[in-house]
Amino acid sequence: MTVRSMTRSGAPGVSAAGSFWRQFRRSRQGMIGLAILVAFGILALVAPLIVDPAQFSPVVARTLGNPQWAPPSEFPPLGTDHLRRSVWAQFVWGSRVSLTVGLAATAVTMVIGTAVGVIAGYRGGRLDSFLMRITEWFLVIPFLPLAIALASVLGRSTRNIILVIGLTSWPWMARLIRSQVLTVKQRLFVDRARSLGAKSGHIIRNHILPNVSGLILANATLWVPISILSETTLSFLGLGNPGNPSWGKTLEEAFANGAMTRNAWWYFVPAGLGILTVVLAFTMVGRTLEEIADPKLGKER
Amino acid sequence: MRRVVVFLSVLALALATLVPVASAQEGETTLVVGLTQNWETLNPTAGWLMSEWEMWILQYSALTTNDADMETVPDLAESWIASDDGLTWTYTLREGLTWSDGTPLTAEDVAWTINTSAEQEWMNHYEVTADLTATVIDERTVQITSAVPDPRLPDVGVLILPKHIWEPVATDGEEVTYYENLDGVGSGPYVLEEYRPSQTLTMRANPNWYGWEGREPGVDRIIFRQFGNMDALVAALKSGEIDFAASVPGSAIDDLEADPNIEVIVGFQAGWEQIGTNAGDGDGDVHPAMTDVNVRQAMAYAVDTQAIVEDLWYGTAREIHSINPSIDKRWTPEIPADLVFAYDPAKANQILDEAGYLDTDGDGVREMPGGGDPLHFRHVVNTNSDMGAAIGELFVGWMDAIGIEVELISLDSDQLGAVIAEGTYETYNWGWTPSLDPSSMLSVFICDEIGSFNDVNWCSEEYDALYEAQKVELDEATRLQQVHEATLILTEGAVYIGMVEVPEIQAYRADRWEGFLRQPAADGPVLFNFAGISYPNIRPVGAEGGPTTTAPGDTTTQPSGDTTGTTAPGQPEESGGGVSPAVIGGLAAVVVAAIAVVVSRRKSEDERE
Repeated sequence: MTVRSMTRSGAPGVSAAGSFWRQFRRSRQGMIGLAILVAFGILALVAPLIVDPAQFSPVVARTLGNPQWAPPSEFPPLGTDHLRRSVWAQFVWGSRVSLTVGLAATAVTMVIGTAVGVIAGYRGGRLDSFLMRITEWFLVIPFLPLAIALASVLGRSTRNIILVIGLTSWPWMARLIRSQVLTVKQRLFVDRARSLGAKSGHIIRNHILPNVSGLILANATLWVPISILSETTLSFLGLGNPGNPSWGKTLEEAFANGAMTRNAWWYFVPAGLGILTVVLAFTMVGRTLEEIADPKLGKER
Repeated sequence: MRRVVVFLSVLALALATLVPVASAQEGETTLVVGLTQNWETLNPTAGWLMSEWEMWILQYSALTTNDADMETVPDLAESWIASDDGLTWTYTLREGLTWSDGTPLTAEDVAWTINTSAEQEWMNHYEVTADLTATVIDERTVQITSAVPDPRLPDVGVLILPKHIWEPVATDGEEVTYYENLDGVGSGPYVLEEYRPSQTLTMRANPNWYGWEGREPGVDRIIFRQFGNMDALVAALKSGEIDFAASVPGSAIDDLEADPNIEVIVGFQAGWEQIGTNAGDGDGDVHPAMTDVNVRQAMAYAVDTQAIVEDLWYGTAREIHSINPSIDKRWTPEIPADLVFAYDPAKANQILDEAGYLDTDGDGVREMPGGGDPLHFRHVVNTNSDMGAAIGELFVGWMDAIGIEVELISLDSDQLGAVIAEGTYETYNWGWTPSLDPSSMLSVFICDEIGSFNDVNWCSEEYDALYEAQKVELDEATRLQQVHEATLILTEGAVYIGMVEVPEIQAYRADRWEGFLRQPAADGPVLFNFAGISYPNIRPVGAEGGPTTTAPGDTTTQPSGDTTGTTAPGQPEESGGGVSPAVIGGLAAVVVAAIAVVVSRRKSEDERE
């Protein structure tokens, strides 16, 4: 007993990351979420190996003689759509697009949000007020109209969708980081570093950021599903990249071409379940990370 | 407190859905027409949507109208004679015409509408009345003189507006467009009763319409109800909530045809959809290859139009090889075999090879002759077209097969219109529906329209000369020849490729209604057609109706009062059939409201815990 507890708390060579992983491993929801994410991650990575992007061309699908609106029983594994294309191929490729957009948009959100939040929180004063007023300005504009306006001005491409989601969702992150920075800033070790003559950059890098990184990571993980859903929403509204089959676009095309009235469930169910599963998995992992970063949360739930 | 407010507002909504029931009187028949198009205005001097046109042709008559065969037939005028030079026509109005508010309708109303619309350039009237002058001879006689020979006469299909209502608002050409036109005073079979923007438009039978003389309307009230999308529209028709669905997606046809209570109408009005090209005779930075007719013809050979017909239109559309200048197909020429660019990618490749567009660097994309810019084209996907996205994806594949790289750009119709005017595109998808007289469709492609209606930046002096000549040609045989020649010149330019004549797919409850008429008679739609000839003829199934084969204006075959004077109005049961879904809807809304309240209460209790 004694030996074990000593190893855990103080043995040299056990890194912070190692202890983090050990805590994470104990959470069942975290591990399930992670397993799902790893599975979809692998699917997204190997997508080019199992699916030929030429299949997304309706001209190729017609040349191949694929049937139109074929149920899975006629065209395994997942049937065909209104343009004779394989739904399975679109599903596999869609995982790639949805995950890419989700992660990239979250990265944009994180970078802008963290920069604004840390600078505002650490500097304080007028700069803080200025940055927070800008943040609030962005916050009061409803997401959807702003995103739609931006997407139509910038044009419809995957890169622009990422930018639009990033540019419209950083304010939440900025406010969250700022509040955390405000508490960390009051800690003794920050005062100590400052009295030893450390520059602001040094303090932010070595003392502030490491102490808010857990929060950033947890929130980033929780933000990915929101980004994926935003991409789905924008694609569903027809603002996505016309040539790139994301899950949102699949749903949009299924809806626009009457899959619901035809009862062509195989067209929209896979994409819908894909979104649901990935969003759920990210949320499970994110919650677990959040509980580890802020142990108080775990007890109340 | 907030919950109560929510409950009350939901209740109010539920009650609002019950209002039409309350206003529909016992024994009245109501036809509910569902459509997906909105109304932007009800003012015929300002609007241009099909949904709006339908309201105007119901509320207003013209001097002449067109029957199912598109022939000119009497409307307000009962007869007309021409002067020897063909420039002046004298019309005699029917006897005893009155507006729906009881005011007499005289030659004064006709002359005022024609002269004022010409002077103030009203957008829907001006095209016809620009060169016309009308003079009142007496109460029932009006003389119309055209400044130039006008082959359209005696057909003057412009809607005659009530002078006593419109004179005060038509102070100038801009002012008149602001009038809301909710007065409901008209001379047609139905006039406006109630308008709720984006929801419903209700029209009631006009007892003063000349065509009801001696018979009862088969439908007392027509409600046009707007739906958010076609699927909802189809569902409402299947459930019987509406009687008529104005736009049905091709994918739903099989399903609807399987329902014995529903009749599906695939109606053509000569409208088509095309992939338009930029021939480069306007401004803008078009790819230089597009100005070469060989490239456009090669592209035309590379487009598999049958794929559009079969996969996007479920076989209901028709492949065509030239524009239709008019609804009347007489004006469409026979296309000689060498101008039919039937799907043949090998031939397309051959044309491009021979013209010197070769892939010199081996990347799969051809370059300009002599190894210049690669053939990289921008195709604009029109997001207002249901087929736009699919056509774009198909087009990428077709062009890929002949070594042309296509980038897709999605824009809505307004943005696309701007891009076309600027000339900063290579191809796009859009469509046209022609009018009856060929001049207006042909005018789109004249040189002067570049930067405006000319959506292919194509200009031909030969074409322009033919257009100007046919516009004032009074001999029909000569004019037909000129129109055919002009159309063939346009076809040879290969500016419109992948053309399909597209149907309006409509469906109605055949278990409840009958008497719908197609216009054009052979294959036209039954509602939202050129002259609205169905409306006076629609009646509940089993009710003794009016004439079954006549157009509203066709007085010669209309039954006289003594034979059909006792025609029964719709049976109460039938009107009940139209009403009860609204009651059910209202009840459903109340139930939903109740559930919402219960749920919200439970939720807030949870929160308190």
